[in-house]
Amino acid sequence: MTRGWLYRLPLPALLAASALAADGAAAPAADPGKAVAFYLVAAVTVGSALGCAIATNIVRMAMCLLGTLGGVALLYFLMSATFLGVIQLIVYAGGTLIVIVFGVMLTSRAYGVKLRPRPVEVLAALVVCGALLVGLVAVLLRTDWPAAPAGGAAEGTVAALGGSLLSVYLVPFELASVLLLAVMIGAAYLAQPALPTAGDGAGPEE
Amino acid sequence: MRGKRVSGAERNRQGMEDKLLQGRPDVLVEVDRDRAGGGLRTEEMLVNMGPQHPSTHGVLRLMLRIDGELVLECTPHIGYLHRCAEKIGENVTPVQFIPITDRLDYLAAMINNHGYSLAVEKLLGMEVPERGRYIRVIMSELNRIASHLVSFGAYGLDMGAFTPFVYAFREREYILDLFEQVCGARLTYSYLSIGGATQDLPEGFPERLAQFLDYFEPKIAEYNNLLSFNQIFVKRTAGVGVISAADAIAWGLTGPCLRGSGVKWDLRKCVPYDIYDRFEFDIPVGLPGGVGGAPREAVVGDSWNRYYVRILEMQQSVRILRQCLQQLPSGDFRAKVPRVLKLPAKETYLEVEGGRGQVGYLVVGDGKAVPRRVKIRGPSFCNLSIASHVCRNVLIADIAAIIGSIDVVMGEVDR
Amino acid sequence: MNKFSAEDALRPRFTAAHKALALRGFVIAGVALLAAAVGFGFVAGVAQGVGYAAAVGGVVLAGLTGACCLLAAFVIRFAALVGRVLLTLALPIFLGGVVGIVVLAWIPALLYERVDGIKADHPGAAVSVAQFEAALTGNAAAARGPAYLAALALWPLQFQLTRDVLAVVGVVGFVSLVAMFGIWWERKVAGRMQSRLGPMRVGGWHGWAQSLADGLKLLQKEDIFIAGADRALFRLAPYVAFIPAMCLFIALPFSAAWVARDLEVGLIFIFAMLGVGVLGVLLAGWASNNKWSMLGAMREACQMISYEIPLGFALLVPIMTLGTLRLTAIGEAQSGGFHTWLAFANPFTFIAAIVFFVATLASCKRAPFDLPEAESELVAGYLTEYSGFRWALFFFAEYAEMFAVAALASVLFFGAWYSPLPASWGAAWADGPLWQRAVHGVLYSGPIWFVLKGFFFFFVQLWLRWTLPRIRLDQVMYACVQVLLPLTMVALLGNTLWLWLVRPGAWLAVAVNLILTAIGGLTVVAMAAIVLYGYLNRRRLVGTMAVDPLPGG
Repeated sequence: MTRGWLYRLPLPALLAASALAADGAAAPAADPGKAVAFYLVAAVTVGSALGCAIATNIVRMAMCLLGTLGGVALLYFLMSATFLGVIQLIVYAGGTLIVIVFGVMLTSRAYGVKLRPRPVEVLAALVVCGALLVGLVAVLLRTDWPAAPAGGAAEGTVAALGGSLLSVYLVPFELASVLLLAVMIGAAYLAQPALPTAGDGAGPEE
Repeated sequence: MRGKRVSGAERNRQGMEDKLLQGRPDVLVEVDRDRAGGGLRTEEMLVNMGPQHPSTHGVLRLMLRIDGELVLECTPHIGYLHRCAEKIGENVTPVQFIPITDRLDYLAAMINNHGYSLAVEKLLGMEVPERGRYIRVIMSELNRIASHLVSFGAYGLDMGAFTPFVYAFREREYILDLFEQVCGARLTYSYLSIGGATQDLPEGFPERLAQFLDYFEPKIAEYNNLLSFNQIFVKRTAGVGVISAADAIAWGLTGPCLRGSGVKWDLRKCVPYDIYDRFEFDIPVGLPGGVGGAPREAVVGDSWNRYYVRILEMQQSVRILRQCLQQLPSGDFRAKVPRVLKLPAKETYLEVEGGRGQVGYLVVGDGKAVPRRVKIRGPSFCNLSIASHVCRNVLIADIAAIIGSIDVVMGEVDR
Repeated sequence: MNKFSAEDALRPRFTAAHKALALRGFVIAGVALLAAAVGFGFVAGVAQGVGYAAAVGGVVLAGLTGACCLLAAFVIRFAALVGRVLLTLALPIFLGGVVGIVVLAWIPALLYERVDGIKADHPGAAVSVAQFEAALTGNAAAARGPAYLAALALWPLQFQLTRDVLAVVGVVGFVSLVAMFGIWWERKVAGRMQSRLGPMRVGGWHGWAQSLADGLKLLQKEDIFIAGADRALFRLAPYVAFIPAMCLFIALPFSAAWVARDLEVGLIFIFAMLGVGVLGVLLAGWASNNKWSMLGAMREACQMISYEIPLGFALLVPIMTLGTLRLTAIGEAQSGGFHTWLAFANPFTFIAAIVFFVATLASCKRAPFDLPEAESELVAGYLTEYSGFRWALFFFAEYAEMFAVAALASVLFFGAWYSPLPASWGAAWADGPLWQRAVHGVLYSGPIWFVLKGFFFFFVQLWLRWTLPRIRLDQVMYACVQVLLPLTMVALLGNTLWLWLVRPGAWLAVAVNLILTAIGGLTVVAMAAIVLYGYLNRRRLVGTMAVDPLPGG
C-alpha cells in the first residue's frame, strides 16, 4: 500500500482554500494582458512551490525552488519593481539556490533515495500550514490596502533606495554588512582543512 | 514498502564490492577518513583514467585514488599493447625482426632499427661501411627530432594549448616527407637493417635535408616563445612532479627524464656507439630556476625541465645532422650480408640512446639463423615505473602534466 | 580537390522513385492551391459576403503555399542545375544575406516611426484600420482601397504587445545568427592561427554554411537517454542554460533607440542573467548520472560563481562614474569621441575594464579558464552525456553569452555604439532623410559599430583560447581571490577617491585622460599595423618550405 494519497492531500486543500480566498474585489486593471501575465506567473510560482514541497527527489526540489524564486522575480517585474526583481534573481536564484544545490550535490550520500514523509509528519504539516494559511488570509482580507499609484516612482527607484539605505536605514545596513563579514569569516574557518597533529603524518596539502 | 531501510550508501557498498571482485574498480568506495579534529567526512573515489583517454599517450590505464581534487595514489596498469614482440624474435631471423623493432617505440622507429642492427652486428662481428653508418646516424637524429616534436606538441595539447600541437606536426610533415623519399614509409620504416641501410639515399637528399634544417632551426625559438616560457604553461609544469637525481638513478630512468633531473648522462656521449664520437654536441640537463633562461619557478627534476631538455635536444640533433651532412662520404651503404645469417652461439647486450631513453637489445644466438632469445629493454617501461612514486598528493590536473613530461610510448612499455 | 556537387548530396539518399513521387505530389499540391487561391479570390470579389481581410488573407496564404510547392517541384526536377547555380553564387548569397539582415533590422524601426506618427495624430485609444488607411492615403474617406492591405499590416504595430513579440523574435533570430556565425568564425580563426584553413567546403566559399550543416546534422541525431538519469532534469538543463543567455539580449542596447527593453536596471539585469546560467551547468552535470560529469559541473560552477565577484565589482566602477544603471545612458555618456570612452577616463576605470574582461572570460568558461570542460582532464565535464541538439543548445548558449559579454564590455567601457569620432560632428545628419541617417549611422553612431566592437572583443576571446594553455583549477581560484579581487578593490576605491577629489576639468583629469587615450589609440594602431604587416608578408610568414619534387616524380 503506498502512501502517495496522503501527502498529495494538501494540494487540493490548498487550491480550494486559495480559490475561496480569492474574491473578485481586486479586479485586474485596465490592461488585460497584464492580468493574464499575472495569473500565469502566479500559477507557475504556486505550482513550483507545491512541487518543491511534494517532490521526493531532492534535486527536483531544488529545481522547483528555482521555479518559485524565478516566479517571484517575475511578479516583481510585473509590479514594475524591476530593481527588486533583479536583486531577487541575483541573490536568490543566482546565490542562495546555488548554495543549496551545491550543498545537496556535495553532501547527499544517497542520491536516489526517495524522501517520503511519515503520516504523522504530513498531519503536523497540514495543521501548521493550514493555520498559517487561515491566519494570512484573514489578515489579507482585513487590511485596507491603499491604492498605490500605477507604475510607482519608476524613475529614481534605485537612487531613492540607495539614498535611504545610507541615510535613514544606515544602522541596519551596517549591521547587515557586519553580519555578512562574520558569515564569511565563519565559512572560511569551517572550510579550512584540519591541521595535522604531531603523530598524524602529513595531511594532504591543499 | 516494508522491510529494513537500507541506506543508499550501504547498497552502494554492497554492490561495489561485487564489482571490485570482478575487477571493475571504477565505483564509489567509501572510506570514512575522519580527519583529526572532526572535520567534514570525505569520501575517496577510485577512478580510472584510460585506457582510452586523450591524455595518457597511448593505451595506458591509470588507476587513481582521489580525494576530491587530490590524487592520493596512482597505479599504472599496462599490457594493453602487448604484441609478444620478444616471442616473435625467437621465431624469425634478425632481418625479419627489423619491422617488429619499428613498432616498439613507433615515434622513433629508426633508432630502434639502428639499435637492433648494432646488436646483431656485434654478435656477428660484422663491419658496416662508412656511408652506411652515416646514413644511420642521420636517420636516427632526424627521427629523434620528429619524436621530440610529437612529445612537445602532445604535451602542449595536454596543457590546453592547441596551437603548438599543429605547429609541431607541420614540422613533422616535412620530416616524414624526407623519410618517405628515403624508404617510402612515414612511420614504421624498417630502413636501417643488419649491415647498414637497405637502400641508398635518393638523389638530392642531402640538399633537401640541409634545406629542412635551415627552415627548422628558427622554429625552435618560436616554440620557446609560444609555449616554453609562457607563464601559464610554466605555472602548470614548473615544480610539478619533481624527481631527484638519486631517485631517477634508483628507479632506472634514462633519457630526457634522467637528464631533466640534472644527471648528465647520454649514451651518445658517455658510452659512444657507432660513430657518435666523431660529432660535437652538448648534453642538455635540467636547469634550476633562473639559470640559463629557465623561469624562476623551475626546479631541477620537475616537469618543465624534462620538457625543456627535449627542446634543447632537438637543437643538438640539428647540430649533429649538420656535421653528418658535412662528413657524409660516398661508398657502400650496406655490408655484404649473406642470404642466410647464422648467429653464433653467443649473446650480446647493446644499448642505444632512443627517443625516450636507453633502448637495450639482448640477442642470444644459438648457431641457427633464428636467435634463441631476444630481450628488449624499453626505456618507457622503466620511466613509467616512477609514476606511482611521483604522482602522490598532486592534483588531477598535474597527473596529465607528469605523465606527459615522462612521455611514454606504450609500444615500448608493452612490447 | 573535388568540388562538392549537388549530385553527391542527393544521390545516396533519394532514389528515382522517391523523386518521382515527391515531384508528382508537389506539382499536384501546388496547382491545386493556386487554383483554390484564384477561385477564392474570384468568389470573394464577386460575392462580397466574406470579410475582406479574411478573403485577402486566404488568397495570399493559399497562393504563397502553392507557389512554394511549385518551387519545391522545380528544385527536385532540376536539382543539379539549382545546386550548380547556388554554388557559383555562394559568395553573393552570403553577402546578400548579411545585407539583408541589416535591411531587415532597419525596416521595423522605420515602420515604427511611421506608426508612431500616425498614432500621434489620433491620441487616445487604439487606432483602427480605417484610420490607418486614411492616414496612409491622405484621404479621410478612403475605404477598402489599395492602401487597405498596408493599413492592415501596420495596424498591429501600434500595440506594445506586437512590438514585444517582434522584438523577441528578433532577439532569438539574432542570437541564433550570432551563435552560428561565431562557431564558424572560431573554426576559421583557429585554423588560421594553426596554419591551416578551417572549414572550406560546405556552402562553397570558405565553408560559410558549416554551422548550418552542423546544426542540421545535430538535429537528426539519436536522442540518447542515460540509464538511471533523471529524464525530466536531463531535458530541462539545456534550457536552463540557454534561456538566460538569450534574455541577456533583451536589455542589451544596439543603439540609443535599438533596444528591446530599455530597463532602468539593465546592467544588473544582465549580471543576474549571467548568474542564473550557472544553474544550467549544475543541472546538466547532475542529470547525467555520471560522476565525472558531476565533478566537472561542480568545478565549473565553482569557477563561474567565484568570478562573479570581481565581475560585479568591476561593473560597479562605471555605475559609480556615471551614476546610472541604464545601459543606454551609459552608452550615451561616451558619445563625445574616442577620449570620452569610459576606459580612458581615469586609470581605475582602465583597470576595471581589464578586470571585467578577464572575469567574463572565466564566467563564460573560455580558455584559459576552461579546465572543467577540458578533454584531457575528465572527459568533457558536464557536457559528456549530452549529444545532438541538446549539446548544440549548450553551445549556442555559450557563444551567445560570449558575444553578449563582449558587447557589454564595449557598451560599458569602449564607447558602445559610437564611432571614435565625436557624435556632435555629425549631429546635423542625425534627423535628416534616410540616406543621411544611414551615413550618420555608419560614420558616427549606429548599431554597426556596436556589432563590430562586439565582434572585436569576441575575436580577442577566440585569440586567447587558441594561444594560451589552460590554467589549473587551484590557480584559477588563486587568480580570482588573490589577484583579481584586490585589483577590483583598488579600482573601486581609487575610482571613488578620484571622483571625489578630482574635478572633471582639472588639469590632472585631462592629462590622465590624454595619456590613457594615447595608450588605447596606440594599441589599436599597433594591432592594425601588425595585421597589415602579416597580410603583406603572408606568404613568407606562413612557413611553407618549398620542396623540390623528386627527380622523375
